Amino acid sequence: MPRRVSCPSRLIVILLCVCWPVAAAHAQGELRWGADPSGGAPYVYADPAKPDRYIGYEQELVEALAQAMGRRAVFVPTDWETIVSSLQRGEFDVIVNGLEPTGDRARQILFSKPYYVFQLQLTVRQNESRINSLADCRTRMVGTLGNTAASRLLAQERIPFRAYADPVGAYRDLELQRIDAVLLDVPMEMFYARRNARFKPAGAPFQPGTYVVGLRQGDEKLKAQVDAAIDQIMRDGTLERILRKWNLWDDRQAALRAQLDAPPTAQAETFELTNATFNWPEAIARLSRAALVTVLLAFGAMVLAVVLGMPLALGQSKGPRWLQTVCTVYVEFFRGTPVLVQLLFLYFGLPRLGIVMPGWLTALIGLGLNYAAYESQVYRAALEALPRGQWEAAYSLGMSPALAFRRIILPQAFRIALPPMTNDFVSLFKDTSVAFAISVWELATAYRELANASGEFLLLGGIVSAFYLAMSLPMAHIARRLERRMQRRQIIEQTTVEAAI
Amino acid sequence: MISATEVRKTINGNEILHGISFEVAAQTVLGIIGGSGSGKTTLLRCLNGLERIDGGTIECDGVRLEAALGDAAYRRRVKELRRKVGMVFQHLHLFPHLTALGNIIEAPVNVARRNRREAETHAHELLTAVGLARAAARYPESMSGGEQQRVAIARALAMRPNVLLFDEPTSALDPRRVAEMRTLLRQFTAAGHTLVVVSHSIGFLTGLADNLLYMEAGAAIEYGATAQLLNAPQDARTREFLQQAH
Repeated sequence: MPRRVSCPSRLIVILLCVCWPVAAAHAQGELRWGADPSGGAPYVYADPAKPDRYIGYEQELVEALAQAMGRRAVFVPTDWETIVSSLQRGEFDVIVNGLEPTGDRARQILFSKPYYVFQLQLTVRQNESRINSLADCRTRMVGTLGNTAASRLLAQERIPFRAYADPVGAYRDLELQRIDAVLLDVPMEMFYARRNARFKPAGAPFQPGTYVVGLRQGDEKLKAQVDAAIDQIMRDGTLERILRKWNLWDDRQAALRAQLDAPPTAQAETFELTNATFNWPEAIARLSRAALVTVLLAFGAMVLAVVLGMPLALGQSKGPRWLQTVCTVYVEFFRGTPVLVQLLFLYFGLPRLGIVMPGWLTALIGLGLNYAAYESQVYRAALEALPRGQWEAAYSLGMSPALAFRRIILPQAFRIALPPMTNDFVSLFKDTSVAFAISVWELATAYRELANASGEFLLLGGIVSAFYLAMSLPMAHIARRLERRMQRRQIIEQTTVEAAI
Repeated sequence: MISATEVRKTINGNEILHGISFEVAAQTVLGIIGGSGSGKTTLLRCLNGLERIDGGTIECDGVRLEAALGDAAYRRRVKELRRKVGMVFQHLHLFPHLTALGNIIEAPVNVARRNRREAETHAHELLTAVGLARAAARYPESMSGGEQQRVAIARALAMRPNVLLFDEPTSALDPRRVAEMRTLLRQFTAAGHTLVVVSHSIGFLTGLADNLLYMEAGAAIEYGATAQLLNAPQDARTREFLQQAH
């Protein structure tokens, strides 16, 4: 039966025709590799001298691999936290980003043979005397990169840690005393910390592990090619040349090369693989803690916003000209710029002026300042909605402006402002998720990290949504009841009086 | 009781009142008549300090407002004045979040710092006096225009002022209630109050006001005893207004 193809589906067909050959071409001549270049030295990062170009030892490694495979390397910048799911979605063919072959990842993707042996290094401030090894950190806060062998080790050892999106943030917070130590892979430590006079290593490197290339499950053919290419560049000295150039060659790399010809069983014994797996009870416990942080953050910020919004509203509508200008500038600044940028500014910018606050306080104050701008406009609208006659009636009874405001204007304005305020609170509640940008361990951060570590995006997503709803629905309910009670109070008193008559 | 001399008021560069003078003896009623835009409401607002006068003086129950006073001094005088002058607005401006009783005791309790129980007893007396003995717990929203107006009057009386100002007290009333309102206001003079009533209704003021002031375009055209002004107006403009009003 002939059928008309509707326009949208025709469009999809055309798009498919155009896109398929391109996708197919990728599989043939190109080796698309994904890595996170933000704070990614010495793996892959933007060349400081030529920021539109990426450099790094892994960049050179992939070039060498691609050459051995007869392909052209194409770099796809991505995000470390979501790198495994990006690979699964097909954004690139391989991960080459200092990827550790952990047990949880092994269930999601394939690994090549190892090309590098790394160790972990604990770094502390120069004047630190209490911390000499990881064992001294049980009551301290340790920074690390999220979703790494280091973060898994810390979780396994039950050492409190904060996961950062890049090593730069972790070391900066160490410098600002927001955390007490940083645990990271030696290549990162070498690049970002070793030359910094304010830091010193705490103990020797430990906990060896390997970096491998990550591939999609079922991509066995590509895995064989990659493994062969790794063998080749190890044998012909290309890998050694690259690693020496980046000052990363050591005895362990030589040992890894020596194993090329050894029987395969020796490998597992020589290197302790970081295979900590995902722990569900632990994950739920961490989610609950994150939910608590979210609640405290939302309530704290709302209290600040509600309190600060009132002087802003009064200053803007009743103050002298200069104060009106100041308040208007405040409101327009905080409404007109993204809250994410404001938080980053407070977190990373203020320390330059000598003001250092912990992440949660920064988030609380940042969100509070931001929402104060919105609350002030709600109040202002509510105040302006009241007829001038209410003020005049109060004045004519001898009330001072302050008394008239407190007794007559405020109670009426509050009723008008309550519904939009409730709205803002629910919205603020969800906005706490931007705090992930400054490493506050609230629900959204928790979701991202746990889901990335386990691959359980759907299940954890459901759980996290349930957490959010469990907190925001009661709040909306309470607000609705409060509104209704305010309206009903009048009606009830009326009817009882009429009944009495 | 009230003495206004050459009162002038300018708003946004336009002179609204061009030098108004009149006197009101204690326990009498002055009616102010005139068309819309004649400045009668502005004059009333000057009498309790809602508008600052720009020329002349107003003396009211011993408090003297002078255009020449500095801002702070003027505000102090206005504060003193408002203890002695009660106002009933044309649109009433009852406080919608308070009951009738709450509206009435608000100022006695929070401004005059009277004992709450005493203020409530007084409020019940006032409600009885205006014929709303049972309405204490009702909210303004649930009342008719006439009931609301009587609450507004009770609210103004609660501060025990000697002078009461009324802006268009009949605008919310149906004709049956107008006579009742006149009787009620007449009782206030007997009780010792002095009244200034702005109204466009000459019928209402007849039999209530002792004296009348006719205003036109911000000027006092004619001022005299009610009967004389109504029956034998001296000025041609007053005559014309009265003819049109009838």
